[in-house]
Amino acid sequence: MDYFRKVLGAPQDVQTNSGADTVERLCERVSSSTLLDDRRDAVRALKALSKKFRLEVGTQAMDILLNVLEHDRTDAEIIGYALDTFYHIMSNEPTDEDDVSNVSGHDLGGQFTEIFIKHAENVSLLLSFLEEYDFHVRWPTVKLLTVLLTNRQKELQEIILVVPMGVSRLMDLLSDSREIIRNDALLLLNQLTKGHANIQKIVAFENAFERIIDIIRDEGATDGGIVVEDCLLLLQNLLRNNASNQNFFKEGSYIQKLKPFFQIHDEPHSKQIGWSAQKVTNMHLLLQLVRTLVSPNNPQNQTVACQKVMNQCGLLQDLCSILMASGVPADVLTETINTVSEVIRGSQMNQEYFASVLAPSTPPRPAIVVLLMSMVNEKQPFVLRCAVLYCFQSFLYKNEVGQSQIIQTLLPTAADANSITAGQLLCGGLFSADPLSNWFASVALLHAIVENPTQKEQLLRVQLATSLGSPPVSLLQQCCNMLSQGGKLQTRIGLLMILCGWLSDCPIAVSHFLNNTANVPYLISQVSSSEGDEHEAIVQGLCAFLLGICMLYNDDTSEAFSKTALKQIMQNRIGLESFTDKLSQVAQNESYTRAAKKPHLYHKHPSEIVFDYEFTRLFKSLENEVLKAVSGSGSNMNGRKSGPSTEQYKNLLKEQEDQVLLLRQRIEELQSHAISADKSIVELQRQVQQLKDQNALLKAQKGSLSPASSISSDEVDSLKREVESLRLQLHNSHIFSNTVSDENKENDPDGASVLNVTIARLQSELAHKDEEVLSLRSELDRVNEVLKQKTSEQTAASSSVSNAEVELKLQQTEEKLKLITDERNHLQERLTKSNEENLKLANTIRKLEDEKVDAVNEKENLKEEMDTLKKEQDDLLVLLADQDVKIDKYKTKLKELGQEVEDDDDDDDELGEDNEEDLDAD
Amino acid sequence: MSYAYLFKYIIIGDTGVGKSCLLLQFTDKRFQPVHDLTIGVEFGARMITIDGKQIKLQIWDTAGQESFRSITRSYYRGAAGALLVYDITRRDTFNHLTTWLEDARQHSNSNMVIMLIGNKSDLEARREVKKEEGEAFAREHGLIFMETSAKTAANVEEAFINTAKEIYQKIQDGVFDINNEANGIKIGPQHSPASQSLNVGGSGGNQGGNCC
Repeated sequence: MDYFRKVLGAPQDVQTNSGADTVERLCERVSSSTLLDDRRDAVRALKALSKKFRLEVGTQAMDILLNVLEHDRTDAEIIGYALDTFYHIMSNEPTDEDDVSNVSGHDLGGQFTEIFIKHAENVSLLLSFLEEYDFHVRWPTVKLLTVLLTNRQKELQEIILVVPMGVSRLMDLLSDSREIIRNDALLLLNQLTKGHANIQKIVAFENAFERIIDIIRDEGATDGGIVVEDCLLLLQNLLRNNASNQNFFKEGSYIQKLKPFFQIHDEPHSKQIGWSAQKVTNMHLLLQLVRTLVSPNNPQNQTVACQKVMNQCGLLQDLCSILMASGVPADVLTETINTVSEVIRGSQMNQEYFASVLAPSTPPRPAIVVLLMSMVNEKQPFVLRCAVLYCFQSFLYKNEVGQSQIIQTLLPTAADANSITAGQLLCGGLFSADPLSNWFASVALLHAIVENPTQKEQLLRVQLATSLGSPPVSLLQQCCNMLSQGGKLQTRIGLLMILCGWLSDCPIAVSHFLNNTANVPYLISQVSSSEGDEHEAIVQGLCAFLLGICMLYNDDTSEAFSKTALKQIMQNRIGLESFTDKLSQVAQNESYTRAAKKPHLYHKHPSEIVFDYEFTRLFKSLENEVLKAVSGSGSNMNGRKSGPSTEQYKNLLKEQEDQVLLLRQRIEELQSHAISADKSIVELQRQVQQLKDQNALLKAQKGSLSPASSISSDEVDSLKREVESLRLQLHNSHIFSNTVSDENKENDPDGASVLNVTIARLQSELAHKDEEVLSLRSELDRVNEVLKQKTSEQTAASSSVSNAEVELKLQQTEEKLKLITDERNHLQERLTKSNEENLKLANTIRKLEDEKVDAVNEKENLKEEMDTLKKEQDDLLVLLADQDVKIDKYKTKLKELGQEVEDDDDDDDELGEDNEEDLDAD
Repeated sequence: MSYAYLFKYIIIGDTGVGKSCLLLQFTDKRFQPVHDLTIGVEFGARMITIDGKQIKLQIWDTAGQESFRSITRSYYRGAAGALLVYDITRRDTFNHLTTWLEDARQHSNSNMVIMLIGNKSDLEARREVKKEEGEAFAREHGLIFMETSAKTAANVEEAFINTAKEIYQKIQDGVFDINNEANGIKIGPQHSPASQSLNVGGSGGNQGGNCC
């Protein structure tokens, strides 16, 4: 609370307290009342207090109000009040009720916003309110979302992007028939799209271009109000640095739809006092929109395509007529010139058209001439003069025809002496007393000859008549003279730049330059001087550069300053180190870096003007070569030969020229090589990155694969063990069954033989299985080896092995592994089968054993029976013997008694009969 | 430059299946073996002729990566046609089709024409997904199906044009509400008889045969 007190200041304590109390009471009412009407009244009261007591309402009511939003959705009024309250506490914009002290630097709204968006659902909730058509809900929602976006743009953009249809719903607001919502939606979309390419694209996809352009048209185009401004800002947001949207804009034929906005109705407006501030702003934004589409920093094919469309649909023509129209405010005119510049830059068709534009003066003059007049006119605004130079440069950029046309106007021809030409204006600027004009004119001239050896030579023919009576001086010499006369910084820098550009790649110009014996000493004196501030250092560096160019493109026609001679002079008078030092100072300069950034001259003040973009490119490309030329070992130190025949000289010259040509070709070749090498490096880097990624992926895959293979080897091992034990078991059972069968042979020969056969079969199967296991193992080893190899390959892969190969191998191994696993599964299956068979066999054996036991038992029984029988028989035999004895006894007794006794046999029968008789008698 | 209709397409599918290459082949007639990863969404356009009518195709090529999914979802609603692409040499891209289709059906308008494309048909040796499987999937879900090669340009033209034909047919049948631009269809300026403001009325006239 202390912090908040500080924010609000001590003197307000009383009021604050009472306010805080009220807020507290109201909050209580909102959260505790059961009646909707009561809650609504309380929220309305909170809304009324929320501007004055932002802090209190924000800290105490936030959650309660969120609750209201969630649960009282059906009542539009209370939702509206709640949304308004949120808007008030989030908004940092000062309102009339605010005390100045209240709006201190503290970002209260931002902090509340942070709290609010901490839960992304709150934002989704707001977005869902947009579906509500009721004005009381929709409008405050739009306002609240806008202020949230203003306070915490990045965070909110990300949240809205993720909410399903979030962006689309916001886009739908543009179709709202109520203007106030549509207009506020424009502001909302402006905040939403700032710096977020993905949202920009979605918005464009939702027909934003079409809708916005329609609104602009309906609002009266540039004559419209601030809504048009908002529309144009939004378009700018959607297109700036977004190549995809630019392409869409072009493909959707929206450039053509911009065209009507550029038609200025000259008649009525020229009569009026001038343009309204709003119209100036609108026009400015419209022009910037065009520039965004054809900016030199865009991808080239994109810019070229847009330039073509702008010419075809007549937009360029409209722009040119604004250029020549009267009554156009200066800053609009400046921006129009800049726009025309970028529309024609590098596009031959557009440059041709521009060259043909005539100013409506009497007599009609080419627009270029009229523009150049302003450039060398001190009285014109500085930014306008910069724009004209930019336009002139863009006209000459990659335009050999244009360059020759300009140079032509400098040459002595039978041209009409009365008409003003570009050449005249440039010369006038070059030698005027105004240093800025000097600079502008020299840079313009530089662009007329840049990368164009023919025009460099042509320019050498230009002669100037200085004063009556004295002989004409060449333009080159006049430039040198001016340079040596000192003068303002910009004058000298301008002259040095044109001289460097002129002499580079043009040995004839170099020899012209060296022919004046005063030039080299002047340069030497400049470079060797050590005094001076930062600006003098630039001049000294440029002089060193010029000197280097004189060496680099020296064809040795000037005897006093041949390549070798120059090198010697330089090394003696300046010293290599000092020379290098001076040269390197140029590129280190801040204004150099600034100028090298983009072709457009975006200086605000004349003093900022130092370097030209095109010159920085020339410097960059030649700096190293100059250094090499100066520091290269002096192989030609043997000096001049006395009296060489002209023939010899010519030959030498030719040779050297050829050499230069060859070298130049090689440079070009090497440059293209370098470019392609750069490209391939980028490509390779990308490939390396890809390979790395894939490597990581493969590693991960390998990681997940190798445990599997180790598992499989484990499994195989365990399987082997199992087989071993099974074999043992089988062996045991075999022995056992052998003994059993031996025992059993007599009882069950058939079963034993069957068993033997089965065992034999099992054994062979087992042997077979062993073999398979062995082969499996060897295969596994091989797989492991392959895997190991692959790992080593992978480590080396990032450079040598192509991905496909690795992938293929991996696939192969995977396949093999699968095969092996399959086989292993198969084997396992077979093993279990054989196990089962074994079990069955064991069972049979057991059964047989049982049977044997049974048989033995039976035998025992039989024996016993037999024994008892034998015993019985024995007993009977004994009994028989006894009876025999008895019979004998009786027989003898009978004999004694006188009874005749029959034979034994008869005796028996009789005995039987007797017995029978006895029985009968009974 | 004038056209009878303008159709908006989106191209969707897993990362690396060749969506950007298909678009490049269709718009520029060239193939780029190493293509940068698409960030978010990229735009391309071309004019085609169907039934003697000029039709402008505006195509949004989306990023396949999961992290861009929330961005790409925003494009479903306003599209009249979608090319759903998988890679015949990568089964997982085929397996993900269901997810894509659900996503598309959930966020798009119900009339959106979806063309299923099995890309990289030139890599027959590495094929993992049979043509029949693609056909079956398309049949099951009511999609048009084609196998293409962005590399050899085989069927690329046809894929884009057949989708357009289907949309065109739907317009003829009166299925599409062509006055609602949210459907991804726009009537060209040449179709409206007079000024642009009469666009809606003009289109109604063109459609006259169908709507009554």
